[in-house]
Amino acid sequence: MRMGSYAALAFVAVVLDATLAPEMEILGARPDLLVLVVVYGSLVLGSRPATVAGFLMGLLADAEMAEYMGLHAFALAVVGFLSAGIWDHLVRSNIFVQCAVLLSATLVHDAIYYLVYYRNHLDMYVRFLARYGLLGGLYTAALGALVFGLARARRWGAVAGGHNA
Amino acid sequence: MPSQLTRLLRGNRDLSTFLACAAASFVLLALPPGAKEGVGRALSGVALGPFKRVAAAAIETAGVRRENLALRRIAAELMNERNALIEHRQENERLRELLRVLITFPEEERFELLPARVTAMPGGRVIERIEIDKGTEQGVRTGMAVVTPEGLVGKVVTVYPTRSLVEPLSNASAAASVVTERSRVRGVLRPRYRVASALTTWAVDYVPARSDIVPGDRVATSGLGGVLPAGLSVGTVTSVEDGPLTMAVDVDLFVDFSKLEHVFVITGTRSGPRARTEEEERLLREIGELTVEEGH
Repeated sequence: MRMGSYAALAFVAVVLDATLAPEMEILGARPDLLVLVVVYGSLVLGSRPATVAGFLMGLLADAEMAEYMGLHAFALAVVGFLSAGIWDHLVRSNIFVQCAVLLSATLVHDAIYYLVYYRNHLDMYVRFLARYGLLGGLYTAALGALVFGLARARRWGAVAGGHNA
Repeated sequence: MPSQLTRLLRGNRDLSTFLACAAASFVLLALPPGAKEGVGRALSGVALGPFKRVAAAAIETAGVRRENLALRRIAAELMNERNALIEHRQENERLRELLRVLITFPEEERFELLPARVTAMPGGRVIERIEIDKGTEQGVRTGMAVVTPEGLVGKVVTVYPTRSLVEPLSNASAAASVVTERSRVRGVLRPRYRVASALTTWAVDYVPARSDIVPGDRVATSGLGGVLPAGLSVGTVTSVEDGPLTMAVDVDLFVDFSKLEHVFVITGTRSGPRARTEEEERLLREIGELTVEEGH
């Protein structure tokens, strides 16, 4: 995947995350399309593109919640950096590993974002992560299985185990 | 030490990139609220707004198409010759209901209502904001209450020229001063996230022990605080548990936030009843005639 295509994909993800994601709600949980795209970028393009994409996508997402401007950007940059780093230590072509990384990345994102969001309600923070964070992470991982499966079927090299496609 | 750090950063460009992004994030977080608002408006309005409106319209169109197809199948099974009429009725039902509510809203003696369409629900796992397609150009201001025919949705927190962001009662920081309609007991409504439950629930805090509240009591806004007007329907008490100092009161809201499509912004209040305009009388008659026709 080329950098331009990935940038377009990231932008579309930001738009869909605000418009389509609510329609995909199951048991109150939504998939996190932004984390999905950042983790996908870290697998296909590497650390720097994923970190920068995470930061910029987060910045656009933060635009709707101005009081937390920079928080999504930071959380997604962390997700991009960490997930890119962890691929080097795992069997990156295994779809179960890919989904496990996606689940962990969603939880890391939520743990960072909602720690600041609920800083004055830490009891709610714990309940929220247990209730919505875990369910949302599983939902995102399930959606990721479809995306990574599709990428594998289309023989996109990096998803199947190679490096930059 | 600084030279070692410089060498480390030069040697690890991934780490440098991450640290630069993190630093930029912290700078943004540390900006004063006015500057954050400015950056947010610029990004949202210029870079994101038009695309989101197009996507929302496309999603809505897809939903309408699905609904249309299902209705056609049902109509063909029941009565072929009435297919067009049934389809037409379903397509117009929601708009006519909106029109009826706008003209005959129960609070018409007190509130000026501005109808608005929900275009997005940004946020995380719960609905933290609701975006509507009306803004300052239509008279929307920060702090205005947003309602549906069922009850209170929330209040406007950010306003753009042609759209606004609403903080719904499902937001963790949302709180509303409420009162029971029967016994006039006051309290503060807040959301509760329960691990075992599939849905967010709401509770009324600060209710003194042994207050006169029973399950089934209707709850409305009290008007205290001056942000939300008094008398807006909120929900029904589902359970009550007395304690040594306060009571635990759970409330089921009238509004289902996940199914919102159209809302009303309360843009002002009147001191007395409002006479309907000729146009509104004509539309009301038209709605009545259509309803009678469908009844036949």
